[in-house]
Amino acid sequence: MSTDTRADEGGSLLARPLNWLETQSEEVYAYVLLIPAFALLALVAFYPLIETFRFSLLADAVASADPFGEFIGLDNYVDLLTGDTNFTQQFISISTTDSFPFVTFGAPFLQQALFVTLAFAIVSVLFETTIGFGQALVLDQDFYGRRWVRVSIIIPWAIPIVIQGMIFFLLFNPTIGFGTEFMQWLGVFGDNPLSSSTDSFLIVLVADIWKTTAFMALLILAGLQSIDRGLYDVAEVSGASPWQRFRYITLPLVAPALLVAMLFRTMDAMRIYGLIDATAGCETVPSLTCLVIIALQNSRRWATASAVAFLTAVVISGFVVLYLLALRDSEGGVA
Amino acid sequence: MVDRESDHDGGRVGVSRRRFLETTGAAGAAIGLAGCSGGGGGDGPIQITMDSEWQGISDTVSQSLYDAGLDESIEVEILPGDFESGARRSEFTSALDAGRASPDIFMMDSGWTIPFIARGQLVNLSEELSSETVDYVQSDYLESAVSTASDPGSGDLYGLPLFPDYPVMHYRKDLVEEAGYDPEGENWATEPMSWQEFAEIAADVWEQNGGQGGDFDYAFTTQADNYVGLSCCTFNETMTAFGGAYFGDHENLFGPIGDRPITVNEEPVHDTIRMMRSFMEGPDAEYAHPDFPQISTTDLLSFTEEPAREPFTSGNAIFHRNWPYAIPINLDSDSFEQADYDVMPLPYGVEAGEGDYEGTGGPAGALGGWHLTINPNTQRLDECVQVLEAFANEDVMQSNFAEGGYLPPDPSVTESVDPEEVGALGNFLDTLAVAGQNTVPRPVTVAWPDQSPQVASEVSAAYQGEKSPEEAMSDLESSLGDIESDLAQ
Repeated sequence: MSTDTRADEGGSLLARPLNWLETQSEEVYAYVLLIPAFALLALVAFYPLIETFRFSLLADAVASADPFGEFIGLDNYVDLLTGDTNFTQQFISISTTDSFPFVTFGAPFLQQALFVTLAFAIVSVLFETTIGFGQALVLDQDFYGRRWVRVSIIIPWAIPIVIQGMIFFLLFNPTIGFGTEFMQWLGVFGDNPLSSSTDSFLIVLVADIWKTTAFMALLILAGLQSIDRGLYDVAEVSGASPWQRFRYITLPLVAPALLVAMLFRTMDAMRIYGLIDATAGCETVPSLTCLVIIALQNSRRWATASAVAFLTAVVISGFVVLYLLALRDSEGGVA
Repeated sequence: MVDRESDHDGGRVGVSRRRFLETTGAAGAAIGLAGCSGGGGGDGPIQITMDSEWQGISDTVSQSLYDAGLDESIEVEILPGDFESGARRSEFTSALDAGRASPDIFMMDSGWTIPFIARGQLVNLSEELSSETVDYVQSDYLESAVSTASDPGSGDLYGLPLFPDYPVMHYRKDLVEEAGYDPEGENWATEPMSWQEFAEIAADVWEQNGGQGGDFDYAFTTQADNYVGLSCCTFNETMTAFGGAYFGDHENLFGPIGDRPITVNEEPVHDTIRMMRSFMEGPDAEYAHPDFPQISTTDLLSFTEEPAREPFTSGNAIFHRNWPYAIPINLDSDSFEQADYDVMPLPYGVEAGEGDYEGTGGPAGALGGWHLTINPNTQRLDECVQVLEAFANEDVMQSNFAEGGYLPPDPSVTESVDPEEVGALGNFLDTLAVAGQNTVPRPVTVAWPDQSPQVASEVSAAYQGEKSPEEAMSDLESSLGDIESDLAQ
């Protein structure tokens, strides 16, 4: 008898919120269901970011068991932005002058992590998008042997980053690689490309373009295939040239997919690390992520590493905002 | 309106779906929580993180420890750490920063033990080991190895040197003899020659074999890449041989930070760079030393240990600077016979004692090597101490030498060892003994992790001829000074 009562009480305790839920609209119910996911997402995404920012406001303590020292406010950021850290590679190191061009580099351009990363991201995404677009246009056609072309385009994307890094490392290895001699014959590289910032930057750039163009091609191809073929028929009947068909049908309709693909690629390119580590090394081509690793692992400067990581997040989110603005416009245009 | 309707409908239909979600959600949470309560500790073996090669001989290592008197109830497990020293440092840094109790014992590089000591993250062995053992280590072990395992301030011992490592010059005896030299008669194995003499011999032997573009790509290979090995080792030892130093007298190697001279922008250091420029690009190149011939190429700029060794092992180089690990590999080479191969101590720049600073001049080889240290968070300190006591034993050192080729940290053991028992290394004991007497440790302090990349990067820039030796060393002087004043206590 008493057991029954308790079971009833338990049932009604559970039933009350459930019944309340039953009376809510589908929209409210959806949000209730989404709360745990949002909470988890906030925990996973924002907690580390906030903690990183908090760490970055503390001093480095290289000589004590606790890696963080006292609160020093924005000093770490000031050191990073004025090129005044103890690292060989700086986040950014420029100073202003009185005469044209009014700025001078404290360290060579390609030894400053921010410029290396920005230059890499912009140039690589530009080339990958252009070449990827070309490949997607070819793949969008019907022709004999299309399967094989698709496979051959996707192969570089299937190679693990470290293996790919090793390929390029060995190509330019002085004892066994033939890449250096070939590039010297073209008059492009010096004697030791993997020790020179400029040459190594180009090597990493080409390696990345070779690998990731396939990714762009596939995403753009998906966009191309969603375009209604009837539009082209109409255009052809109306006498539009191939260029006009591209300009007024393909480009505007593929733009949202293109921008999303570029957004992914830019975010990815801004985080470049593995390819550099496997080819020239972070000393030669210091990207932003390289600088985080150098600060964290070589110097055990956790606070400075946190500051670099946070600045990296800021730079990347700046790019994301630009893309989101462009995407909003393009969607408006399409609609 | 239509929307409202369908919403409402959806709500009704969704009753069972909602109940389902609620039930499965609760069940999932319960299972998740149950998963958290698993795990736990136990009385396992004492764990030592070493590397995969030590792990490969772990049975004989354990047996030799028991033979040396370790209680057989203490089981020792050797874990394979990362192959690369820097990666292992990061692994240990995070283990100690997080206060983890495992592993109980670390195998730490002599190049980065002191920062852990300075941070108070290791057990003070002077307080834990028996006074006999501490005395034995401090009086009989290789002094420069012990100094990289001790607190520079108090002199207390925090690491037990496991094995030291010092470089030798590997060379092709057959080619040298064919060229008219007499290594045996002139005692190359134990009497170091000068860099000048060495370079001229190397250039001559190379020339007789066709020189550049001839039978051999290089007369000499060493490591000159922009990496940690340049600052700790190859540049450090060559500069020391010429009488130069990073921080003046060698008593300043381990501090005091901020209160020691910075002596990189001086003539012996400039000369070292000029000599290396001549080796790579010839005496007529910019910033090269006119007295030294060309004996290699700029490929050296991208060589670390293995890339520098490969041309030698494959019969493409005549002389090669490397650690003793390369001896067994070279003896196995398909390109030359064992009898055609020998080693000798590294050359000197100026005579011993003629250097500008105490401890400099004479032949110098960088000191590498590894120590055993105890994790202060271990729950079984007594057993860890017993394991370390057992390692400080001559028979254990001999066994490690014979099984793994690890040099004994007590030089008298190296001298008394039976050449028959230690296999490949047995023929080269005399050279190793001489090399062991002429080692220079790297200047490890809490500032060194910041300073080392600065040294490597400036020296590399000077080697490449991007900067003059004076300009590079002046830049280095100021950046080392900045770090010193930044970290001065």
